Amino acid sequence: VTDLLGYVIRGIPFGCAFALVAIGLVLTYKTSGVFNLAFAAQAFASAAVYYQLRVESDWPNVPAFIAAVFVAAPLLGYVLERFLFRRLRTAPAVSKLVVSLGLLVALPEIVKLWIGDDALYGVPTIWPNQFGIYHWGDYAIDGNEAATVIATVVSVIVLTLLFRYTGIGLRMRAVVESPRMTELAGVNADRVSSFSWMLSSLFAGLAGVLIAPLFSQLAANNFTILLVAAIAAAAFARLTSIPMALLGGVLLGILQGILAGYLPLNSVLANGLRPSLPFVLLFLLLLFWPGLRQKREITDPLAGVDPPPAGLAAIGRGPGLTVATRALAVLIVVLGLALALFSLDAFWLLIVTRAVILAIVFLSITVITGIAGQISLCQATFAAVGGFATAQLVHVWSLPVLLTTLIGALLAAAVGALLAVPALRLGGIYLALATFAFALMFDSILVPLGWVSGGDVPLDVPRPEFARGDHAFFLLAVVMLAIAGTVVLLVRRGTTGKYLDAVRGSEDAAASIGINSSSQRVLAFALSAGIAGLGGGLLAMLDTQANYAANFSPFLGLVWLVLVVTVSARTVEGAVVAGLALVLVPELLKEVGISLEWQYILFGLGALTYARHPEGILEAQQRQLTAFVQRRLDRRHRAATSDEGTGPEGRPVAA
Amino acid sequence: MRVGRAFTAVAVAALAVGLVAPAAGAAEFPAVDQPGVTPTEIKVGGVVTASNDPTGANLDTAYDGVNAYFKYVNSKGGVYGRKLKLDSKRDDGLANNRQEVQGLLTQDDVFAVLPVAVQLFTGAKLLADKGIPTYGWDINEEWGSEHHNPGPSNFFTNVGDYICFTCAVGSPQAWLPKKLDRHRIGNLAFNVSQSTACAEGLEKSLKKFKTGKIVFQDKSLTFGATDYSAQVAQMKDKGVDLVITCLDGNGATALAREMKKQGLDAPQILPNAYRPELIEKNADVLDGSYLFTTFAPLETKPAPKGMKLYKKWIKKSGGEITENSLMGWINADEFVTGLKAAGPNFTQQKVVDATNKLTKYTAGGLIPPLNWTTAHQNQIECSAVLKVVDGKFKPVFGKKGKPFICFPDNLKKMPKNPQVSS
Repeated sequence: VTDLLGYVIRGIPFGCAFALVAIGLVLTYKTSGVFNLAFAAQAFASAAVYYQLRVESDWPNVPAFIAAVFVAAPLLGYVLERFLFRRLRTAPAVSKLVVSLGLLVALPEIVKLWIGDDALYGVPTIWPNQFGIYHWGDYAIDGNEAATVIATVVSVIVLTLLFRYTGIGLRMRAVVESPRMTELAGVNADRVSSFSWMLSSLFAGLAGVLIAPLFSQLAANNFTILLVAAIAAAAFARLTSIPMALLGGVLLGILQGILAGYLPLNSVLANGLRPSLPFVLLFLLLLFWPGLRQKREITDPLAGVDPPPAGLAAIGRGPGLTVATRALAVLIVVLGLALALFSLDAFWLLIVTRAVILAIVFLSITVITGIAGQISLCQATFAAVGGFATAQLVHVWSLPVLLTTLIGALLAAAVGALLAVPALRLGGIYLALATFAFALMFDSILVPLGWVSGGDVPLDVPRPEFARGDHAFFLLAVVMLAIAGTVVLLVRRGTTGKYLDAVRGSEDAAASIGINSSSQRVLAFALSAGIAGLGGGLLAMLDTQANYAANFSPFLGLVWLVLVVTVSARTVEGAVVAGLALVLVPELLKEVGISLEWQYILFGLGALTYARHPEGILEAQQRQLTAFVQRRLDRRHRAATSDEGTGPEGRPVAA
Repeated sequence: MRVGRAFTAVAVAALAVGLVAPAAGAAEFPAVDQPGVTPTEIKVGGVVTASNDPTGANLDTAYDGVNAYFKYVNSKGGVYGRKLKLDSKRDDGLANNRQEVQGLLTQDDVFAVLPVAVQLFTGAKLLADKGIPTYGWDINEEWGSEHHNPGPSNFFTNVGDYICFTCAVGSPQAWLPKKLDRHRIGNLAFNVSQSTACAEGLEKSLKKFKTGKIVFQDKSLTFGATDYSAQVAQMKDKGVDLVITCLDGNGATALAREMKKQGLDAPQILPNAYRPELIEKNADVLDGSYLFTTFAPLETKPAPKGMKLYKKWIKKSGGEITENSLMGWINADEFVTGLKAAGPNFTQQKVVDATNKLTKYTAGGLIPPLNWTTAHQNQIECSAVLKVVDGKFKPVFGKKGKPFICFPDNLKKMPKNPQVSS
């Protein structure tokens, strides 16, 4: 009992660190409707400001704290709201999630442009006595832990009072639910929204300054690691209750201590469960915690008074332009292939081959996000399943590598289907979070196992005998892309695509005409995972090893998603362009002498355009260009036919 | 021995040729038809993980070391009448190592590849297959390990290529329990492969040499964990008096802080913490800890000749003094030593062959004597031991001018006082 009590008491300060982040996530969601994964990046930014002022500029503690938490953080929140999230106020939560992902990728790199790349050690605490230790019977607490516990408890009390007993608290919640209705009541929704973001950003700043000293080094990924663990506590609070977020965080901290104390050390259970505890809990909470299973998000009850959002500007093309466009596409492909095969050296051929294979992986995002309308944050994991299966089957059973790649794709498809079955009841951000939890569980439970990943050293993967050479392997990748692209096109245009369109529009309406939305979603997940698995196997072949850290980590998967939705998640061309962008942008930056960090800034900021163009930059540009060309053709045709007395053809048509 | 001496004579002669080169000029030397070699220059290129490195290890400062060394050599006229030039500095951004290595091979027209200081060495096979002289920092299995045995003959590092991470070998980790008379060991590792391999190696070594007993071991820690309260409580209960970790700087510091909080009085042995700022900023909890370096630490007194040159030229070239820039310097010295030994008609293969004949290579006293005739498959187990005192590194257990303690490859019994070496 004494031991148990010890684990519980010692776990509380660490639980408060989780709670602080969870409260921040809940606060942002409550006041802005955004599940803000960029919270970690905002916390990092404030911690960087605090570090620079305290350590580099030698400011005293209190002014540095005030500047970092009460000035810089709210200012950042204001900027984000004013220029970004205000436009997204009535957008679906998934759109907001994607934009916050973009910020998570870009913001730390922007901060690093200021603080530099060098490791920054020794972030001071806000406690006057720094890490001074205070004893309480058999237990002890240090200054930073004391500050964290006090700040967390005070924050909960203040925020609870704010929401329960003040007008601004009520108005903040009202603006999230219905800005239009709130405005009808005479409330300035913009101002309230700005205040909400400044408050939540202040909280991110507070968390950043308090959490940074836990680590010896100031680094953005420390905050991200803590954030993904704290999501479970936020889910425990159903993303709405701040006191419950505190409880969830503290319970998580205590549970980690108890498991470390009582599970047999180095047992399979300990090795599997302890590192993955937050993700297992998150997954289970999402599936079984009442209140987190709603399929639809809360929508503005007055949304109907607005005209429906403008449809994507589909442009009808005249037959001449259609033929010309297709001919141009064929020409580009043929020229591209000829260039790759006959002009590129081994370096550029490797780059282009990687782009082709990444395009295959990205087609999986086209299926699940572009066609099925779901956000999956575990596509890199499906690719890993394919890559590992390819490698293991070659090693263990000595099967031909092409066969093992196909088996790997099927295995990934099966895993996708299995994941989809329990996740069916989830929608929107909850499904996204469940897939992220799955990716993190895979990362911490399965990847360390030798029979999965090969263990200490990545398993070698040969290329097929007929594709040993770089040119032959490039052609193999192109053929695979052509097959995968054709499958995706057929699915999109076929019955399944139509069904998924219907389900995406309205599940109830789709069910009323006999469409089984569950089976369609399972099918979409399986197909998407299978394509990702195929790409994973090919990536392993390209690198001649199944290297998880280099190719399949969950955070790499987030960058992939951000990039694909930015370019175009609905088209095959979008996947191809995204694949090219991922490998060519770094080379372009190198050519002009710009640091590679800028690629993350560009990709991240690119996601911000998702707010304006949910169809993606590529599709938007294509439509504008097509419309422009068609207008010019029409004008010319009119001029020609008016002389002959006949009317124009091929008028732009709104879809 | 005879071969070694004969080789030394050749090397000295070659060195002399190199040193008189400024007067002679490139025209005095035969034309060389090799990649990256012109009548006036020998170009090399390197690859490091500069961006997107989760460890924040400043690996790009390896370039500083190479640049400084080349500046030093060029100030003496270069080698065989040619100036040395670090012509290509690639950043693999963590995930693109193979791609960048391919670029070095096909785009950059370089004679040798240095420095290689990367977190993931996925392009190793390309370099090994090509046979190009390659010099780098031995933190990847691909340089040579129980899984890659022997290491490629064209790969050269500061410690000899081969490191068996999971073997029972004589090492300071296995020796210190005996030296410090602390035998109840606590061991912590993350649940990632490199970390668990380190724990496994320690476990086997302690078992073989019977210098200590692991009474508490946790290999299930999450990378990035900050809560070690349960582990420290258990170590305290079990009477642990020496903690040997396989953690990064974050983990080691958080653990030390928790140990101080709970009053666990046991020194910590850190696997990889030669970062002065990390130690200085966390002196309150890391004082009394031990760590090792495979090179002469910057604090070595008297400083070996190589160290004096390094400090002088890194300052002159505007570089940064770090562990990685020192690695870059050693890599460059290793390359130039092999190049000079290969003779004026040098080729990539001749440089590799000549380097593989070196038997007592020390980079001017910066590293323990390396025997490249065996270093690709036999582990060199020499390290300098440092103790953290008042937030500074203090070399311990070595002797004046001999900072390293060494353990033979086939050690059967752990000696009380291992051999010391310059």
